Amino acid sequence: MTSLNDQETLFTLIAKNLPTDVTCWAFGGTAMMYLGFKEGTKDIDLLFEDETGRNAFIEAIKNLGFAETSPVTIYVPEKLKDKTKPLMFKRGDTRLDLFATKVFRTTLSAAMKEGKGAVHEYRNGQTLKVAVVRSEHIAYLKGITGRDKDFDDIRTIIIKEKDFDWDVFVDEAVWQHAHGDTWALLDTERTLRDLQEHVFIEEKYLKRLYAAQGARAGRAGR
Amino acid sequence: MMDVVQRIEGLQTVATVQEALELKRQSAINLLSRLRKEGYVTSNGGGKQPRLYKVTRYRQLPRHKGMFDLLNKHNPRFKLAAWYDHQVHGRYTEEDAILDAIDTESIRALLATLRLFNHVTDWPRLDWEAKRRGTWNRVGALYDVARLFFRVRRMPRRYIPKEREQQALNAHINRKNFPVIGQKWNVDIPFNEKDVASI
Repeated sequence: MTSLNDQETLFTLIAKNLPTDVTCWAFGGTAMMYLGFKEGTKDIDLLFEDETGRNAFIEAIKNLGFAETSPVTIYVPEKLKDKTKPLMFKRGDTRLDLFATKVFRTTLSAAMKEGKGAVHEYRNGQTLKVAVVRSEHIAYLKGITGRDKDFDDIRTIIIKEKDFDWDVFVDEAVWQHAHGDTWALLDTERTLRDLQEHVFIEEKYLKRLYAAQGARAGRAGR
Repeated sequence: MMDVVQRIEGLQTVATVQEALELKRQSAINLLSRLRKEGYVTSNGGGKQPRLYKVTRYRQLPRHKGMFDLLNKHNPRFKLAAWYDHQVHGRYTEEDAILDAIDTESIRALLATLRLFNHVTDWPRLDWEAKRRGTWNRVGALYDVARLFFRVRRMPRRYIPKEREQQALNAHINRKNFPVIGQKWNVDIPFNEKDVASI
């Protein structure tokens, strides 16, 4: 497990080894730690807006002794067929999952960029800027990665974030579906159905997902 | 533990915690102390003021200072509500805050930078970094506006554009959005004299 202190030390060291300034987006357990929802994470998930940023980051972590590892045992096989699967690097117990441009089929939407929850800058020679997506988007991304324990994390977020905005959560699924992620609505619907066994979620949110699916199917039919 | 936190979430005193959880005073103090160690509680006040405990469901982590902290520190009457949590791990100075505020393209953040120019000590760094980001003309224009209204440390002459250097800056008063400064630095200034008076 990587704690928040370990992560901050690591990012400060990475900033020192970067060849240029780099900006990335934190989601998953990393983002949860920044927002105080969790104490440790098994992996540090980062999304880079382009390959250049990811390559600079990889150069820095290789200098720190990280080596590439296989994602085969971590993600479900259908996700691994995706071209946008992450590059994974490991050193000891610390694992970094590095995505570029997309998290599988999910794009960094305008709502994610504008509604960011926090920005942490590590200045140590070069600057590593880690933007943290808001809690609704963390939950949405957890819903689509389909890994063990992600469901528990979503529950934790919903319990701890008393102002959790279901509209933002559903809007994101609809936007992603409209922008090419064909699994977005299905994954979100499944997540919401599972969550309904633990928390109260109004039926209107599911209806919006069905309406979005119907509208898409209707357009395809024409 | 989470049940207890949920029941007393918000601003509390020892007495209100006692009442909410039906505890003795010492038990309430012990509970708040334990929650504080785990990060769910922070407190302020005390002495002549009542001690207030802020209880949240998530851990309240220690913060590193960022752009909004610096802007608010130097603006006693004009506070910005941060629209995201900006924290910098490492050296962060007034020069950085000015440049970051310009990058936000928010009028309120730009207004808040005016008072920071009196705290700029490292002009070479501000010049170098602003030119790297392509915002030096905006820094210059904001500096000139700041000079009209506040006591500001002088920018070294070598950073001022040669032409129009001697221009009487007071010519701006009562004219819309500081046109001479805008022309001098080749930028549009998105606020006027009344806006500056509000800070």
